[in-house]
Amino acid sequence: MVAKKKFLFGLKADRQIDGDKMNREFSDRVMAEGGEGAAIAACMQCGTCSGGCTNIDRMDMSPRTLILMVQRGEWEKVLKSNSLWLCTTCYICTSRCPRGVRPADVIEAVKAIAIRQGIENDSTRFNQIFVELVQKRGILFEPELMQKYGGLQAMLEQAKLGIQLTLKGKMSPFPAKIKNPKKFNEALEKAGKQ
Amino acid sequence: MKYSYYPGCSLHTTAKEFDISTKVVMEELGIELKELEDWSCCGGSVAAGVSHDVGMAMAARNVALAQKQNLDLLASCSGCYNKSARAAKALENETEKDRINTILSKMGISVSDYNIRVRNVVDVLVNDLDISSRIKKPLTGLKVACYYGCLLTRPADITGWDSPVIPMSMDKLAQACGAEVVDFRSKTKCCGGPILVSKQEVAFELTKKLLDEAKSLDADCIVLACPLCATNLELRQPDIEKKYNVSYNLPVLYITEIIGLALGIKPGKLGINKHIVSPKSVLAKLGI
Repeated sequence: MVAKKKFLFGLKADRQIDGDKMNREFSDRVMAEGGEGAAIAACMQCGTCSGGCTNIDRMDMSPRTLILMVQRGEWEKVLKSNSLWLCTTCYICTSRCPRGVRPADVIEAVKAIAIRQGIENDSTRFNQIFVELVQKRGILFEPELMQKYGGLQAMLEQAKLGIQLTLKGKMSPFPAKIKNPKKFNEALEKAGKQ
Repeated sequence: MKYSYYPGCSLHTTAKEFDISTKVVMEELGIELKELEDWSCCGGSVAAGVSHDVGMAMAARNVALAQKQNLDLLASCSGCYNKSARAAKALENETEKDRINTILSKMGISVSDYNIRVRNVVDVLVNDLDISSRIKKPLTGLKVACYYGCLLTRPADITGWDSPVIPMSMDKLAQACGAEVVDFRSKTKCCGGPILVSKQEVAFELTKKLLDEAKSLDADCIVLACPLCATNLELRQPDIEKKYNVSYNLPVLYITEIIGLALGIKPGKLGINKHIVSPKSVLAKLGI
């Protein structure tokens, strides 16, 4: 369904950067997660980010709207948006922004907050398993990622490719690891919980 | 010139030919590579979206190890390069540096004040070296589509050596090798790599568009510098063909492989026999 458009003095209502509606709480939290790269005060709602976005036609909320919703502190809308998980972090938005805002870094920070808030879907599950496995040995072992994420079915689906890669010497049945994976894991585990 | 070489997870596994061809070509051009000792995964495009600090620390660990060797870091994989460059930049910011240092110190690694540069192999090949004078076997008649994807040149404040929207470095390298470069309009469109597993359908759609355009331009192969893009474009090519009932059979080669061929290095020495989509048609066209 196409949302009914509302206009005010020729400006779409959802585009207004209206001082009364702003709420710093969420944007402060996004910045606390993502650092200065996640600052959005300079956004003037021009929509250049959305114009270049790889996946905009599949998103329920454009990157431009998402930034506005973060500025207004609309937590629920942002955290539930599928845009977070359709963003491929390709940085087109960030490269084109005329005001130096970095929507890709903002979305990255919001993703981390969403996961900590308990948002669950295929993407959050994949991302968490990925990080957990890198933390375990310091080097990713792809067959394990496949198995943990997709179970036996994924292993079977990928079996043909797996065999081809093994025959070409491009996949070892044994995982590689760094010298002191335990220390590595502990340090990152602690950092991730803060 | 000597670099601390960071292969990352992919170059030791699915992108083995990128690892082999990088080493052989760099050696041929007189660049010394010393593999970064005890390197770890950079966290890819995913880790910082789970925790910013975890993602930054994963990437910064490798930068700190290269600092210890007093050598600039060279990565071939676009992802490893991008994330390492981002971490190196974050280390120049006092607040970020403190956050990262706290985590790394628990691993027994310390960040030093010795700033190193993080380089990508394409950057070094196009900006520091002159390959055109070294060409022994020009790739005459070969039509290539150079595909940059996202992380090789974006965002510009982290990369900065080529345009983030209309990059030309690989086009120039391929031309120097004597190949014909097609006008690949989708060259910086994302292939959907980071969402390949969790949103496979979307990733396949994005990748299909790239394959369609390269095919319509009559390219003999796609040339790239990212193992994740190669996973989508090459390893998943049969799946995409099956899903959409199309046939591409389009070889996907790393930029270092075609440079190696033009330098007169034997295909076997470059690891070209390790591809899943056979590059035989490319070699046949070149009479190799």
